Amino acid sequence: MSGTFSLRGVRLPAVQLSGAATVGMLVVAVIVNSALQPNFWSGYALTSNFATFVPLVAIAVGQTIVVLSGGIDLSLGAQVTLASVVAVRVVDGQLDRLPQAVAAALGVGLVCGALNGLVVALVRLQPIVATFATSFVFSGLALVVLPTPGGSVPLEVTTAYRAAVLGLPVALLAILGLALLWWALRRHRVLRHVYAVGGDPEAAYASLVPVARTRVSAYVLGGLFAALAALAVLANTGSGDPFVGNELTLASVAAVVIGGTSLAGGRGGAGGSMLGAIVLALVTNIVFFADVPTTYRQLVNGAVIILALALAGIPALQKRRPAA
Amino acid sequence: MSALLEMTGVRKRYGGVQALDGASLTAVRGEVHALLGPNGSGKSTLDKTLAGTVVPDSGEIRIDGAEARIGGPRDAHALGIAAVYQQLSVVGDLTVTQNVVLGLEPARRLGFLDHRAARVRAATALERFAAAFSGRLPLDRPAASLGPGEQQIVEVAKALAREPRVLVLDEATASLHKEQVEVLFEVVRELRAAGVLVVFTSHRLDEVFALCDRATVLRNGRTVATVDLSSTTEDALVQLMVAAPAQTPVETPDAPQGASRHVEAPVSGRTAESGAVALVVRGLTTDRLRDVSFTVRAGEVLGLGGLQGQGQSELLLALFGAARITAGDALLDGKALPLTSPARAARAGVALVPGDRARQGMFASRPIQENLSLASMRRRARLKLALSAAAERRAARSMVERLSIKIGSLNDPVATLSGGNQQKVVIGKWLLDQPRVVLLDDPAKGVDVAAKEEIYAIVRGLAAEGAVVILNSSDNRELTELSDRVLVLFEGAVAEELTAASITENRLVSSALRLAPGETL
Amino acid sequence: MSAPTVEAPRRALAWRPGPVALAGAVAVVLVIAGELVSPGFAGYGQLVNLMRVAAFLSVIAIGQTIVIIAGGGGVDLSVGKVATFAAIIGSRVMAGDDANIVPAVALALLVAAAIGLVNGLGVTLLRIPPFVMTLGMIGVVQGLILAYTGGQASGRAAPALTSLVNGRIVFDLPGLLFLWLLLGLLAVWLLRRTTFGWNLYAVGANRAAAELTGVRAGRTLILAYVLSATFAGLAGILLLGYTESVFLDLADQYMLPSVAAVVIGGTLLAGGIGGYAGTAVGAIVLTVLQGLLTTLDIGGAWRTIVNGVVLLVLLSLYGRQRRLRS
Repeated sequence: MSGTFSLRGVRLPAVQLSGAATVGMLVVAVIVNSALQPNFWSGYALTSNFATFVPLVAIAVGQTIVVLSGGIDLSLGAQVTLASVVAVRVVDGQLDRLPQAVAAALGVGLVCGALNGLVVALVRLQPIVATFATSFVFSGLALVVLPTPGGSVPLEVTTAYRAAVLGLPVALLAILGLALLWWALRRHRVLRHVYAVGGDPEAAYASLVPVARTRVSAYVLGGLFAALAALAVLANTGSGDPFVGNELTLASVAAVVIGGTSLAGGRGGAGGSMLGAIVLALVTNIVFFADVPTTYRQLVNGAVIILALALAGIPALQKRRPAA
Repeated sequence: MSALLEMTGVRKRYGGVQALDGASLTAVRGEVHALLGPNGSGKSTLDKTLAGTVVPDSGEIRIDGAEARIGGPRDAHALGIAAVYQQLSVVGDLTVTQNVVLGLEPARRLGFLDHRAARVRAATALERFAAAFSGRLPLDRPAASLGPGEQQIVEVAKALAREPRVLVLDEATASLHKEQVEVLFEVVRELRAAGVLVVFTSHRLDEVFALCDRATVLRNGRTVATVDLSSTTEDALVQLMVAAPAQTPVETPDAPQGASRHVEAPVSGRTAESGAVALVVRGLTTDRLRDVSFTVRAGEVLGLGGLQGQGQSELLLALFGAARITAGDALLDGKALPLTSPARAARAGVALVPGDRARQGMFASRPIQENLSLASMRRRARLKLALSAAAERRAARSMVERLSIKIGSLNDPVATLSGGNQQKVVIGKWLLDQPRVVLLDDPAKGVDVAAKEEIYAIVRGLAAEGAVVILNSSDNRELTELSDRVLVLFEGAVAEELTAASITENRLVSSALRLAPGETL
Repeated sequence: MSAPTVEAPRRALAWRPGPVALAGAVAVVLVIAGELVSPGFAGYGQLVNLMRVAAFLSVIAIGQTIVIIAGGGGVDLSVGKVATFAAIIGSRVMAGDDANIVPAVALALLVAAAIGLVNGLGVTLLRIPPFVMTLGMIGVVQGLILAYTGGQASGRAAPALTSLVNGRIVFDLPGLLFLWLLLGLLAVWLLRRTTFGWNLYAVGANRAAAELTGVRAGRTLILAYVLSATFAGLAGILLLGYTESVFLDLADQYMLPSVAAVVIGGTLLAGGIGGYAGTAVGAIVLTVLQGLLTTLDIGGAWRTIVNGVVLLVLLSLYGRQRRLRS
């Protein structure tokens, strides 16, 4: 039997970063950032930092659910773009159309997620390529909806987003809300099935788990969290941009890895991914405040993401699996 | 008594293979019904049609006289059928409780889980197996942290938690210890008393006679006979299972000489005392091996015995450079054997025929040609790079003839071959590399009787040519037939060495079992 | 019955409809459709032109084919960026002077190979999934391009390179097509008649078994990524010869089509099955399709959508995974 003994170099990558490594990175990122960014702990800096974190945190939760189900969604960034441009078109700067805009964004997430789920679970395409292909469809559609950056979000929304309630930044509350949402989902049958399907699809199928439906649910949840990310993007920037989500896809995967979820599926959780997302956002901050020349900034950011992904490959940082 | 289960004319085709060709099975409630047949006879496929993981191409299934359509596991469940599979369907990352209730989780409103109810249900299902676990029931441990036998028990408990009318046990005892088997049998007898029909598939005839009431024998996907076990013998069953002599020349397991015609070799391998010591292993230690030392002579077959999973496979992997070694070394013909990677070990003259053919031994989608060439092509390549198609074909042909592998074309994917021929391809790829040391991990597992004998002949032939052969086998008869010496392993260490006359099945069994804690014969 | 892992490929093999022939037929149908929609689409000059465009994609897709055959989710999304970077380096070092061709090409290919090496090391040693690793590499290479150029590409292709690529030699065919043929034959030889090729298929079909057959799987995979980046670099140089001067996103748009061409050609994304002939035909199909869309005056956003949909449709024809229920 394979798997019951350790085969050096033969085992497939089902690696998982340990929780200690995730927290360690967060602590280091916070320390470095607070050293470089003036007034890091001031209310203003905290508010604006958290405001930029939310989109990545939200999309990281969505990516985690998809990854746990044994898939991956490379179209999440494009979904953020599409949901945000559709929402900004709908709201068109008018506060009274906000509910419709939110509904439209969530609807886009739902439809995109359902399409991905359909393609992966029912047409049975490899998730990585299938969502890669749909990402082109979604970003193309985003360009059709909003060919150039523009559109506006009601001022009340952007103001509220950067306000504080009981001394806590609204953006921080949004992150806590996302955590709460994850906590609830974790106690739901759908997520249990997501873990089972990601851990061993054949076993899950033989155990009466509705595998296809569970996979579709995972992608739909992913899409809904992408829609939440889109709303946060709009609230943060105040206008639409048909390229806004491009960078988010890879960052969401990196956040998942940093957060200790195995890309092989079935193991991990969104709590770590949320921390991972914050680590990545802090690193972007650090690169900005460390006075890296503009022409090198992208190189550094790209290298950091690769390094973050590489961390999961370092044995010392990996979570030990229970011994058989 | 009217039949609870009636399957008739069940057919299933996989690509070019007719796995089931009009199989039938009739069984009544309160019966333990054995499903027997050689490998590839369609037992597992028939089990799977019942469980809904395989949908037959045609055929009729009646439960309680009513026609049943089983299009998936959910249909089977609705009909009161639960199955325990040959390949575990335990999800390693979920806890034991989560596994037992998987798919039928007790939930409160809106699909939120009810943890307490789940634990109660799991505990109830596992209670009757308490004796099979050392200590408390591991309800909250991840299933992957349990031993293979314990996982198998969880699997059975999961099926029982579904309160089936029909329980399918497909090779459910394969990874169980003897005492776990006893616990399982006790539960099966209780189920029988409660009117459940148990369909029991096993290779072990002793178990079948110990537990079952009747047996249905399959051959080539067809039902050959259904017999009452109280009025039949083991020999008679074997006669039913092996094909008619006209179709394939098969010997009874006690008379293996027939198949050795392809590889000239002495019938008994126990003649190797004369060879010089070729392989010396000193203090080999890994995660799962403790200070293993031994020597093997050229031309000797060293058997590895003991309960399964005591480090036998790990020892073979370690000698092939595929395990992380923390201490110890090995010398081949006086020179240090590189144990750091399979590639180095292979180049030093070591070959491994792994235990899991599909996952570790062959390249199912690749042509037979490449499967055979791969281990040795570097010898024939120019500048270690350029291959000559003709030379590769010659090499592959020579091995196909030498091992009488039954193939269509060398360009066919190896997956199109039968299990026995696939295994011969895996062995053949190494023979082309002319290894000094051949490590065999259960080489005859999962192949039919005829192919088994041919593989035995190959093993004897290798030893006769002076190779060092180390053979792990889960089949004690195989060990007695092939080995010159047997090392009995227990928890990763050599517990006993059996030589020549002391290698008997009884001795192997007692040696393996006496070592298990709290075990008596 | 043996394990289901053994049954699966058998089913898949029985059911595949000869992708290369099918893709070829699709290409012909598209050309006929083009001729019907816009007479002259299938003219000799026009077809040669399409083949020339297809050549760049085909050369990039050589590496993509190799990496995808290597299996384990192998893919190289950084090929477009690497080609761009190679062209930028080539252009700057050549500076329009024939004397600089050799150092320019050597440096460009060396840098490309180094990028491939990093990809390969990340995928094998650090076990980063290839899609993610090479997607991340896009950002890094883009960063390198910005740092190297300061945001402004410079230099020019050497005239000799341009005449090699664009010059008409036989039948009024550009030299590029002959270079493509040469590289294609090299690719086929590499895959079908070398130990590397056979090891590659073995690793793609079953990595664990490959390791346990003494194949140095890690080395084979790393070499696959190095080759992928090198062929991409080569394509970048060819593109430079064609366009003579470079811009910062010269070959970026080849990322999706390079994967699509491989898939259309019948190479399984699961690894271990496929070949370059199919990829070459796949590249032609995609190029003809793009030509047709251009003829129909379909804009950029919609073309992106069509590309994505085409890839999806093709995947559903070839790339489906096996059912849990059989």
